[in-house]
Amino acid sequence: MPRPSQPVRHPACGLLAAILALCSLSEGWGGAAAQGAEKVPDFTRDIRPILSHNCFACHGPDEHDRRGGLRLDDRDAATAELDSGGRAIVPGKPDESEMIARIHDTDPDTIMPPPESNHLLTAAQKETLAKWIAAGAPYSPHWAYVAPRPHGPPPIRQTDWPINWIDAFVLGRLEAEGLTPAAEADPLTLVRRLTLDLTGLPPSPAEVDAYLADTRPDSYMLLIDRLLASPRHAERLAAWWLDLVRYADTVGYHGDQDHSISPYRDWVIKAFLDNVPFDRFTVLQLAGDLVGPAGNEHSDDPVLASAYNRLLQTTHEGGLQLKEYRAIYQADRIRNVSGVWMGATVGCAQCHDHKYDPYTAKDFHTLGAFFSDIDDERHMDKGGFGGQNLNGLPTKRDPEVTIVGPFDRTPASELDARIHSLETQLPPLVLPPRAQPEEPEPDSVVASRIELDRFKLQRKQLDRSLMITRPLATPRDVRILHRGNWMDETGPLVEPAVPAFLGRLDTKGRATRADLARWLVTPVAAGGAGEFTARVMVNRIWALFFGGGLCRSTGDLGGQGELPDHPELLDRLALEFVQQGWDVRKLIRTIVTSRTYRMASDAPDDLLARDPDNRLLARQGRWRLPAEGVRDTALFAGGLLVEQLGGASVHPYQPAGYYRHLNFPQREYRADTDSRQWRRGLYVHWQRMFLHPQLLAFDAPTREECTAVRMRSNTPKAALVLLNDPTFLEAARKLAERAVTGGGGSDDERITFLWKNTLSRPPATEELALVKGLLDRRRTEFKADPKAATQLLTVGIAPRDTSLNEPELAAWTAAARAVLNLHEAISRY
Amino acid sequence: MHDPLMIHRRTFLARSGLSLGGAAVAGLLARDGLAAAISATARSGGAADTYPGAVFPLHHPPRAKSVIFLCLAGGPSHLETFDYKPVLEKLDAQEMPQSVTAGQPIAQLQGQKLVCLGPRTTFSRHGESGTPVSDFFPRLGGLVDRLAIVRSMVTEQINHDPAHTFMNCGTALSGRPSMGAWVTYGLGSEAEDLPGFVVMTSKMGRSPQPIAARQWHSGFLPGQFQGVEFATSGAPVHYVDNPPGVSSAHQRDLIDTVAALEHHRLARLADPEIATRVKQYELAFRMQASVPQLADLSGETAETIALYGAEPGKATVGTNCLMARRLVERGVRFVHLYHSDWDHHGGIDKHMREICPPTDRAAAALLTDLERRGLLDETLVVIGGEFGRTPMGQGKGAEIGRDHHIKGFSMALAGGGIKGGIVHGATDDFGYNAVQDVVHVRDLHATMLHLLGIDHAKFTVEYQGLDSKLTGVEPAKPVKALFA
Repeated sequence: MPRPSQPVRHPACGLLAAILALCSLSEGWGGAAAQGAEKVPDFTRDIRPILSHNCFACHGPDEHDRRGGLRLDDRDAATAELDSGGRAIVPGKPDESEMIARIHDTDPDTIMPPPESNHLLTAAQKETLAKWIAAGAPYSPHWAYVAPRPHGPPPIRQTDWPINWIDAFVLGRLEAEGLTPAAEADPLTLVRRLTLDLTGLPPSPAEVDAYLADTRPDSYMLLIDRLLASPRHAERLAAWWLDLVRYADTVGYHGDQDHSISPYRDWVIKAFLDNVPFDRFTVLQLAGDLVGPAGNEHSDDPVLASAYNRLLQTTHEGGLQLKEYRAIYQADRIRNVSGVWMGATVGCAQCHDHKYDPYTAKDFHTLGAFFSDIDDERHMDKGGFGGQNLNGLPTKRDPEVTIVGPFDRTPASELDARIHSLETQLPPLVLPPRAQPEEPEPDSVVASRIELDRFKLQRKQLDRSLMITRPLATPRDVRILHRGNWMDETGPLVEPAVPAFLGRLDTKGRATRADLARWLVTPVAAGGAGEFTARVMVNRIWALFFGGGLCRSTGDLGGQGELPDHPELLDRLALEFVQQGWDVRKLIRTIVTSRTYRMASDAPDDLLARDPDNRLLARQGRWRLPAEGVRDTALFAGGLLVEQLGGASVHPYQPAGYYRHLNFPQREYRADTDSRQWRRGLYVHWQRMFLHPQLLAFDAPTREECTAVRMRSNTPKAALVLLNDPTFLEAARKLAERAVTGGGGSDDERITFLWKNTLSRPPATEELALVKGLLDRRRTEFKADPKAATQLLTVGIAPRDTSLNEPELAAWTAAARAVLNLHEAISRY
Repeated sequence: MHDPLMIHRRTFLARSGLSLGGAAVAGLLARDGLAAAISATARSGGAADTYPGAVFPLHHPPRAKSVIFLCLAGGPSHLETFDYKPVLEKLDAQEMPQSVTAGQPIAQLQGQKLVCLGPRTTFSRHGESGTPVSDFFPRLGGLVDRLAIVRSMVTEQINHDPAHTFMNCGTALSGRPSMGAWVTYGLGSEAEDLPGFVVMTSKMGRSPQPIAARQWHSGFLPGQFQGVEFATSGAPVHYVDNPPGVSSAHQRDLIDTVAALEHHRLARLADPEIATRVKQYELAFRMQASVPQLADLSGETAETIALYGAEPGKATVGTNCLMARRLVERGVRFVHLYHSDWDHHGGIDKHMREICPPTDRAAAALLTDLERRGLLDETLVVIGGEFGRTPMGQGKGAEIGRDHHIKGFSMALAGGGIKGGIVHGATDDFGYNAVQDVVHVRDLHATMLHLLGIDHAKFTVEYQGLDSKLTGVEPAKPVKALFA
């Protein structure tokens, strides 16, 4: 607390007593003290947040910037004698504790926290600190740095409520809080929710009907298993993972050129489809180049996965400084690996020891040293002027390989076989000697040659470039950069190591990325951090199904993160995940099987007021779909969605001139003119500098950094997209066409068709009337102005059923626009 | 209502999208005063959807209500604009002393012989202050008594893309909010039918450095604070035009029907997001009308058009400066103009002769026009680039130019709360290092916020556990010498 240049005053005897007496007069201290007699403040819940938020910046883990020699995040240090002779904390004796005196100080020069920090303790916080010291100032380590422990579920009264062990933890808490869990959601809501959550797409009306009619006792479990096995589920999980690892199709800096990366996305989808255990999933991405394929893996899998290390932003801007960007690339990788797998902000320790967590600047650099063997600097030679084709689309980012994506392997090998067969059958091509008339080949041979050329062309189209990880023979030196300054080369060299407070790798010789990856997924008992990693991941997977993690700060489980609302459940989930072999699908199955998941999301006002963020889980969550889901559901309703797994990125309609600021090279966006136009949002070309406005309007991240939580804004920009973006107009047009041709003969039936295909439910009577009104007004107008009808019906490249009456179809398009613009159409309840 | 600290109470950013029902947003903003500000408004009987800004009330009385930042993108040479260096003139073609450049970061001149390049133009003294301004900028020179010229700017990034990010976000790290997003988040906006933060761009004929949308992104702030880019040709804002075959009345009818359907659902399901959405649709519809009106310059007089050198329908610096005036007139909080093509590694003579006249005309017109409309007092105008250029030449002969330079460059400020006719800070005799009253990018941010009524040190949002500020973690201070 004391700042260096100031003498520390010894607390006047009795000062605290006087202050406390004052408090008791003005703020009812007596009552609070009586409560305090029953309940000692809990360090993790009550004390650490106060200290971390208000004190640790100057009195925390960062020893270089520590004021007055005082450290409050460690009990021994906090209770030790200070340079000044006093003690910040004297356990059991708040009135002898310098901390208590200083937080009650009125002198702006000596009060803590100091005025320039802009932090102010409330009377309640001061009182809590005093009570905690009076109780002996017990410390406990930050929850996230204690390995998950096995917890049995708490005792519950309503014993018939739980379906599985998750529910017991949730119900135990609710009963302790005097709350009742919400009733189960109705089957229609449930089938729509589960389908959206697991696949990112709504159920078809037929799927809804089948589920509602299914009387088997295990119909819900059967639904879960059908959805989990669906390729759509793998695509849904891939979209989540791509946010974390910052997958994008462009380099992100300066010219923001395309780079060759999409086969990596295919690998991620394939890995989720095959339910690759998460530990292996981790090792392959961080170190596929070092570990090679396991028994059941295709020999290309580790190569594809290793592209993870190339997902960072890169540049070849003229005049760049190699060493500067070497430091920037290193920091980028550290932020990502620590963000994704450790739920930590190790990037904060780039210039100094972390202010709130025990990561030191040395930890930052030793973690960075794991990546210093990655051969990826050739595009930066000679200040960015050295390489070839750097301003091409795609740019060249050596090392790259030509590879066949995991979903193209079968067609590729079939083509290879055909090509081989034809080549061995056909006579060799011989150039006739000069001046000798050429003897024509028989027609069959010519036909075979044409066929061979076609096969070769088709085969070639399956080849894609991919940036891969290739280790250097000699890793680059990594120095501790003082204050993160890349021009200061006086710092000591470091070797790869995991953060010191988390353990040590026992390797022969220099530790590698493979060692780091294995450490992340090796159980604690075996010297790894596996259960910690598991806790980070299960928390995020939980968030996919409830709208928020059990610890809400899914990206930061560190000291400044939030406390988990159900810490024991979180631990249990993490342990189960590890014990069940890092089986992602099994984990998800357990979560969505629970009764907690099946609760209704609607809640009475008093519960909404008491627990607006739904931390206690007395109900399910409800939220707007992610950007890709908004797109996909519209295409789905319009019957346009083209489902094909994997492949190069696609280019939906985009406002003209949106890329006008891009240069090196200048470029014009070319929207796809074939079925690629209607592929899922997951496959949309991800331009970091100018993300597609449709995605941006619904809060898709630019993927410059790890994104653990997407925001959910509700803006006029988003409204304009749904109203006027050609993708949504085209979807409305095709949905209208479907309603007219297959939705039944009457208006009511057709409106019902619109509703069921968009909202999964039939319309209410009032809704029918509202849409019929709109429909009739448009019918009249479009009949009077058929040219306007034609204009509306020509939006988008999807072919039009010309047998239909145009004004009528345009009127139905208006009706389809209405339903596609409803909040419910893009929401999950 | 005359309390100056309450000046922003009338603001309506919520209409442009603060989703009060969004748990994610509420969580994000829980500790930074926004929740408090909103409940304060609610308590005072204000409409539930008014967003008075996160800084409510303001920390101190504001001197400016809005900001126009004219970014001369690419790095304009301070040595040919605002920083006259007679010593450098004398040393032209002589070797640069190594004592000045040793150990310094250098961009494209890495490994080359470093030779002084004197000013490539003449300077004239202007105004009562007699401040020298380059003859490339005669009109701005004529307004020098309105300008505070800072000759001691420094930044930390020497390549364009990260330097822009640094200038806008106070850090080169990606994913942070830009200053326009910070300001709109802090103050809200008084524009009812327009976004609070608008970006416009223009360029000359050459092939300029790219500008990333990151420069106006909202980073970790909610998406509604993101800058909205206005185009001068085509649809001014993405998706603002009605679809083909859909009249405005037809669109209105659609939105009314959607609203009726939403209300029907809302009556059965208390989901505040639905209510918010209905409001967003209403605002979207109004924007569909107000944006084209704003972009339509036919109501401007021929004299005004000529003053700016504006070319309606064309994205020139003149058109955009005129648009900037129209935007702040309508209550838009932050207008960021990018005029590209100042990256003069070679051919600096030729390129400055091309780019300076329209820029000079447009910038001077903006100040003049704002002043005669009584808007200059409440509008802070900032003119400058992401960095300056080296006193050393790059290339030879007619193709000579200057490299990127970050250790000393110039910016000009005018308008709300700025003392005109002053020069602040200085570079050394070479124009290399800022040596007197150094103004870091962070200080510029602190200054800007101060003029808007915000103490930069108290304007924080918790992100990754840190009280994140526009001015970052290193010390920053408003440059009080610039204040009127």
